[in-house]
Amino acid sequence: MTQGGSATGGGYALPVFPYRRPAELAGETRRHKVAVVGGGLAGLTAACDLASRGIPVVLLDEDDTVGVRGASSRGIVYAQKTLEIFDRLGIYRRVAEKGVTWSVGRVLADDDLLYSFDAAQGSQSRQPPFINLQQFYIEWYLVDRLAELPEAELRWRNRVTGITLHDDHAALAVETPDGSYTLESEWVIDASGLASRVRQVLGARMAAELGEDRWCISDVRFEKTLPAERWTWAKAAFNDGRAVWQHPMADGVWRLDYQMGADADPQTIADPETVRDRLRRHLGATRVEIVWVGPYGYRTQLMENFRHGRVFFAGDVAHVMNPFGARGGNSGVQDAENIAWKLAAVLTGAAPEALLDSYDEERHAAGAHNIRVTTRTIRFLAPRSPFEHRLRDAVLDLARRYDFARALVNTGRLSAPFDYAGSALTTSGGGSLPNLPLVHPDGTPGALSDLLRGPGARFLVLCFPGSAAPELPAGLARCFACGGAVGDLPVLRGDAIDRLAGAGEVLVVRPDQHLAARLLRPETTAVRAAIDRALGRECR
Amino acid sequence: MMRTDPNIPDADGFYEALIAAQEGLSEAACEAFLLRFALLLANQVGDQQVLLEAIAAARAMIADKAHG
Repeated sequence: MTQGGSATGGGYALPVFPYRRPAELAGETRRHKVAVVGGGLAGLTAACDLASRGIPVVLLDEDDTVGVRGASSRGIVYAQKTLEIFDRLGIYRRVAEKGVTWSVGRVLADDDLLYSFDAAQGSQSRQPPFINLQQFYIEWYLVDRLAELPEAELRWRNRVTGITLHDDHAALAVETPDGSYTLESEWVIDASGLASRVRQVLGARMAAELGEDRWCISDVRFEKTLPAERWTWAKAAFNDGRAVWQHPMADGVWRLDYQMGADADPQTIADPETVRDRLRRHLGATRVEIVWVGPYGYRTQLMENFRHGRVFFAGDVAHVMNPFGARGGNSGVQDAENIAWKLAAVLTGAAPEALLDSYDEERHAAGAHNIRVTTRTIRFLAPRSPFEHRLRDAVLDLARRYDFARALVNTGRLSAPFDYAGSALTTSGGGSLPNLPLVHPDGTPGALSDLLRGPGARFLVLCFPGSAAPELPAGLARCFACGGAVGDLPVLRGDAIDRLAGAGEVLVVRPDQHLAARLLRPETTAVRAAIDRALGRECR
Repeated sequence: MMRTDPNIPDADGFYEALIAAQEGLSEAACEAFLLRFALLLANQVGDQQVLLEAIAAARAMIADKAHG
C-alpha cells in the first residue's frame, strides 16, 4: 500500500501519500521516457497503462492525496469501456466490489415515468454497462496498482510550474517542499485538468463557452431506500419544474443534481437550509446527511490540438463538457489508453513517431463528438426561449403516450466508446470490441482484454475457420483461432467470440481493443498492411 | 428527397379536418396542437434527409417574409 496516513473529507477517510525527495534534487540528472503531469483520473490511468506495458513513467502531482480538496464531487459513473480498461489494468475487481453496479435507467416528467431502459440487455462484455463510484476511490486504486508496477514512479507534492520544449525532450520546472528542480523527459502527458499550467505556458489554443444554466449537486446519505438505478427527471414539480438527477454510489451516498434557474446565485442555492429544504421536497421526511454540496455552471472547452510537440493533453485539460452522460471522466480514461499504447509502440520501436499524430486525430474527434452530444442534452433540458420550452413540453407530452417521442427525450446520452471508423489508422471497422468472455487455449476462463495486456503494445489477430494463419512476428501481434481450428494456431473458445466474425474472416484488434481491420481470407501481407497502417507506417 | 408533388389523397378533406381541429382553441392551444401534430408527422416520415429538407424549406419561407 502506498498509504502513509489519512485525511478526511465529507466523512471519508482518504489516503495521504508520502513525499520523497526527487533524485534530481540530489544532483542526479536523468532523461525520463514519459512524464505525466497530474494525478487525476486521466493521468493515473495513463501512467498505469504505460507502466503495465513496461514503459518507465514518472507521474507528478501537486497534492499528496486523491480527489480535489478531499471528497469533492466529481465523476461517479464509469461506463463499460472504462471498466474494460480497468480490467486490463488490474483494478476492476476492487472497483466492482466497492461500487454500485447498475444498468436500469428511468426517465420521468413530474410523476410520470416516460420510459426506462436496461443497458444490460444485449451486453456481451465481461464488465457490466455501468458502475457508480466516487472518483477518488478509482484514483486510489490506480495509485495502489501503480505501486505494484516497477516501471512507475509517483512523485507527490511535485508541482509543475513551467515547461520548455527541446528537439528531443521537454524540460519541466518542478517545485517541491525541498526546492525546485528541472525534470527532463522525452515525452510529456499533461493531464493536470482545467487550470493546466503546462497548457498556459505553451499558449495552446482552446475554444471555450460558458453556459448560463446553473445546477446544484448534493451528495447525501439518507435513511430512505431507493432503487440502485439512474433516475432522471426532465422536469420535476419538487424542483419547480426543472430537471433532477438521482444516482447511487458507494458508502450509501447518493448524488442528487438539481437544475436551478438561469439567474440563480451560487451562494444562495448552496445555502445549507436551502439545500435541506430542497432535499425534503425531493425525498420527503427522512434523516439526511449532507456529504458535499456544489453549485456549478457548465462550460464546454476543447483544445484545438491535443498534441503540442512532445506534449500530449489528456482529460479535462483537453476537453470539458457538461456532465450529462458521464462523458468527461470516461473520455479522459480513453484518452489515456489511446496515448499510452501509442507511446509504448513508439518507445519499443514497433511504430514510427508518426503514430503519435493520430492521438490528436482520434481523441480530438472524440472530444468534439462528446461536446456535440452533451450540448444537445443541455439544450433539451434548458430551452433558450419560451417557444423552445413549449416545443420541449410537447415532446414530453407525446412521450407519455407514444413510444416514438421517447427517443426525443434527452436527459443525457450515456458514454459509449468512440468509433474510430474515420481514423487514418483504420482499414475497416474502428469500433471498440466488447470484452467478450472466452476460454483461453490452456483451458482457463477469461476475456478478450487478457490478451491485450503488456508488455509492449501488441495487436491481436483473430482468425476464423476458412482463413489461413498469417505469419507475423511475435512481438507485433498475437494470433489465435476462434470458433474452430485455423492451421496450428491456439484456439480461443466461447459462444460470443465464435459469433464475432464469419467464415474466412480475420479481425485485427488494436492494443486498445478497437477493431483496426476486418478482412476476408487475407494473405499475410494484407494482415501485415492493416497492422502497419494502425501503427502509423502508411503514408496518408 | 422531399416530395413537393401533390401526395395527399383528399386534400380538401385533410384541410377541413385540420381547421376543424383548431376551432375554438386559444392561440396558445393552437400552437400546442400544431407542435404535437408536427412531431407525430415527423415520425411518420422517418427519413432524416426528408425531415431536414422540410425544416429548411419551411424556414426559408419565413426568412423570405421576414426580409421581404
